[in-house]
Amino acid sequence: MVSLLIILICSLFIPGIIVKTKALFSGRKGPGVFQPWLDIIRLLKKGSVYSSVSSYVFQLGATTYLASVIVAALVVPFDQYPSVISFPGDFVMFAYLLALGRFLIIISALDVSSGFEGMGANREAFYSLLAEPAFFILMGSLAMFTGYTSFHDIYSHLHYADRYAVIIAIISGYVLANFTLVENSRLPVDDPLTHLELTMVHEVMVLDHSGFDLGLIKIANNLKLVLLNTLSINCFIPQDWPVALQVITFLLLQTVFAAGVGYVESFRARNKMAMNPQFILSISAISLILIFVIIILNNKI
Amino acid sequence: MITFFHLSLLTSFLLFFLPKKYQYPFAFLLQSMLVLSTSAWAIQAWNEPNPVQVALGIATWSGEIILQIDKLSAFFILLINFICFMGIVYAAGYLQPYIAKKRATTISLHLFSFIWLNAAMIMVTALNDGIAFLLAWELMSLTSFILVIFEAEKEETLKTGINYLLQMHFGFAMIMFGFLLVKDATGEMSFSALASYFAAHNNVVVFLAFFIGFGIKAGFIPLHTWLPRAHPAAPSHVSGVMSGVMIKMGIYGILRVTSYLKDDFMVCGAIVLVVAILSGILGVVLAIMQHDLKRLLAYHSIENIGIIGIGIGLSILGYATGDSVLASLAMAGALLHCVNHALFKSLLFFSTGNVYYAAHSVNMDRLGGLAGPLRLTSLAFLIGALAISGIPPFNGFVSEFLIYNGIVHDFVSAGFSMFLAGLAGFVSLALIGGLCLYCFTKAFGMTFLGTHRSAQPYELRSTHWTMLAALAPIVLAIVLIGIFPEWLMYPLQESLATFHWLGGTALTQTAPAAAMTNVSLINIIFLSVMIAIGLLKWIQQKKVVVTTGPTWGCGYTAGDYRHQYTPTSYADSLAQLAEPFVIFKKDYKVIGEEEIFPAKRTFHTESGDRIERSAIMKIIGFLVKYLPLIGRAQTGYIHHYLIYPMLFLALIALLTFLQVI
Repeated sequence: MVSLLIILICSLFIPGIIVKTKALFSGRKGPGVFQPWLDIIRLLKKGSVYSSVSSYVFQLGATTYLASVIVAALVVPFDQYPSVISFPGDFVMFAYLLALGRFLIIISALDVSSGFEGMGANREAFYSLLAEPAFFILMGSLAMFTGYTSFHDIYSHLHYADRYAVIIAIISGYVLANFTLVENSRLPVDDPLTHLELTMVHEVMVLDHSGFDLGLIKIANNLKLVLLNTLSINCFIPQDWPVALQVITFLLLQTVFAAGVGYVESFRARNKMAMNPQFILSISAISLILIFVIIILNNKI
Repeated sequence: MITFFHLSLLTSFLLFFLPKKYQYPFAFLLQSMLVLSTSAWAIQAWNEPNPVQVALGIATWSGEIILQIDKLSAFFILLINFICFMGIVYAAGYLQPYIAKKRATTISLHLFSFIWLNAAMIMVTALNDGIAFLLAWELMSLTSFILVIFEAEKEETLKTGINYLLQMHFGFAMIMFGFLLVKDATGEMSFSALASYFAAHNNVVVFLAFFIGFGIKAGFIPLHTWLPRAHPAAPSHVSGVMSGVMIKMGIYGILRVTSYLKDDFMVCGAIVLVVAILSGILGVVLAIMQHDLKRLLAYHSIENIGIIGIGIGLSILGYATGDSVLASLAMAGALLHCVNHALFKSLLFFSTGNVYYAAHSVNMDRLGGLAGPLRLTSLAFLIGALAISGIPPFNGFVSEFLIYNGIVHDFVSAGFSMFLAGLAGFVSLALIGGLCLYCFTKAFGMTFLGTHRSAQPYELRSTHWTMLAALAPIVLAIVLIGIFPEWLMYPLQESLATFHWLGGTALTQTAPAAAMTNVSLINIIFLSVMIAIGLLKWIQQKKVVVTTGPTWGCGYTAGDYRHQYTPTSYADSLAQLAEPFVIFKKDYKVIGEEEIFPAKRTFHTESGDRIERSAIMKIIGFLVKYLPLIGRAQTGYIHHYLIYPMLFLALIALLTFLQVI
């Protein structure tokens, strides 16, 4: 339960921190940290405009997306404290739950018969397909390293005292952080603030969502960002620290990650679209390196 | 029960003498009798420790034909009966326009073959004797051939049918070859003789012969070339049955042979795994490139056979390396995936049949926007699409979850080489999952969403009620298996007991099988959260102004159907990556600079299967080139023909003299 609580708390301010960092770097004062959530609340109260060609699929999209992300949050642990539900292979279910939300969002983008949204849907499907192996290879290698097969067991046995674990934690944290960027369509894969539809990935898919639905999608995006962050940050927090210190470190690392995202988005340009597949595949390549590091460390050859 | 069985098969000949009007009801009655009697045997087999023996009262030269139904057979029989029964229910509506158009004999032949295909598949799963098995296998191929060429007036369909028939006979020859090797060594031609054969001889050769023979039916790459042609050519209820259960007979054969393996597990498992991974990934990549919805689904059958194969291969390898948990989990996943694939693939083919029936086309370039007019069909297709992509809370996830878990268990305990095998399976499953999502968002989106991709409006025909009624039980089964997978663990374990080498760990005692209650818990939570959010939305939308407007066009107001993504453009980003396996041709003329007023031009794309072109067609090209040389012997002069037996006799005499034979 601790994990769910802390994830929910983080999702309150993380999106705000990204926005704030970007504002500060561009010399503006920027909105308050909770502004993204205030925007969401405003959206939830608004009326909706539906495209005249949309069908029931469009109505299902946002709802299912949010539900799938909420349920995926149930299996994510916080360091050695168990997730709400934990079972062998829960990370497989985690990945497929996210896929469920993605599927529905993609088809609701295709539902409005727009060339732009079709393009976004196509890119989302393509990039997530390239990113999927990275996550699986990584979790497989962590399972091999720790000898356990669920998120909670893996994280609570990723001994920090072991000097090898440092290397592994760093590489897997790095891979997961990159995976997070791809999955949440942040820079350098996608620029969430671009104003040109042709260069968008995720944003262009939800162009026709408005009001309540758009609010749901934004909530889900925020949650998903924090969820995937949690996966990488869990690699870095030692287990023998007292709880209070762990929680503080966790919140701090989340903030640092968010600020890092904001920093990158202030100073870096987006990849050329044609470069993206290469970038995403490189994440899988790094996780393959990790797996061979672990094989050698475990004397399996 | 045996009376019912005989009655349904013997009286099926009466179909040819009935007037058109009574043919379908009579066929339905016969099929129900057949399904009822055989299902009763299967359920009986399920409850008894020993296989149920049913003497059919007819004999071949190798003895009386006895159906021997053990738990593996019972498993498949129940599956066959369910899908075939739904098929005949579906056919009630689907066949109606054909019944009006076609001759009585054609219709009766079709229905007759459908019943006999069902019977043949049941016999295939229940016969132990080699000769009888081969006869049933041949019967299955012949009846399905007749079913495929239902629209034989189209030349393409007939050609496809003959292609199918020829390939099936190659498979038949390989299976016969396998049986003959066994017969030669043990003196007995049956599956059970494999036990003593495998104990004393090298396992690989016979296993390989059977694997090729059965693999051609199952559609493993590179033996898959008949599949993407035959399925689209057949009427939808037939493609549903063929793709849903008939290709599973190939899997059944492989499983049956595998269950007798005694030695060389490592080699056999590696062969199956490599071929399966190839089929899984290439199947779905090729599927993405298709425009024809039925062809797309046919390629997906190859992909799913690949997933089943990954399960079987890893299971064999797991046993070889002493990991009994991997062995039983992977095999359980493979078996369950047979059920799951049968369910969602028949659902997808049936709903595609509805699309064809209503819109007269399955070419996705000409479809779109059908979610409104065909609401229930589209919902069924959506559920099938989610299930086939392995997405919870539907059934496809459960079987893949079992295989994934087996592999993760293997990661924890295995040595290096086994680890690599597991990793290959693991990454391919993840990749297949992602590709499947890509493919089915395309298939569903292009067919049902957006607007019609044509200037002419649809002339939709309303679907017959049985065409929707047949979908309902399948959807129900998909959802039930998806939400309550723990119910299936015990029956699966019972079927696994058929494999003598899988005795090590009981499936239900493995942690992942026990975790199924958690999977079902998450599914239930998901559904309740979704319903809760839906309710909130409903309440909110009642309070605010909800309007409809045009789609966002970025300020451009003249957007029309041509601005939408098409199957080709959706597949385009993958096409570059898939270049080594897929031939993807675009045929168009670029607008030149000097062309101020561009003339009307056309755009044509085509995708081909590079494996088929390079591996299969080359061999066939070689045969086509050199086989006519033999034709020269056919001179047309009778005195030449009289010389041939003379030469033959002389050859025999010579060989005997040299003591060669």
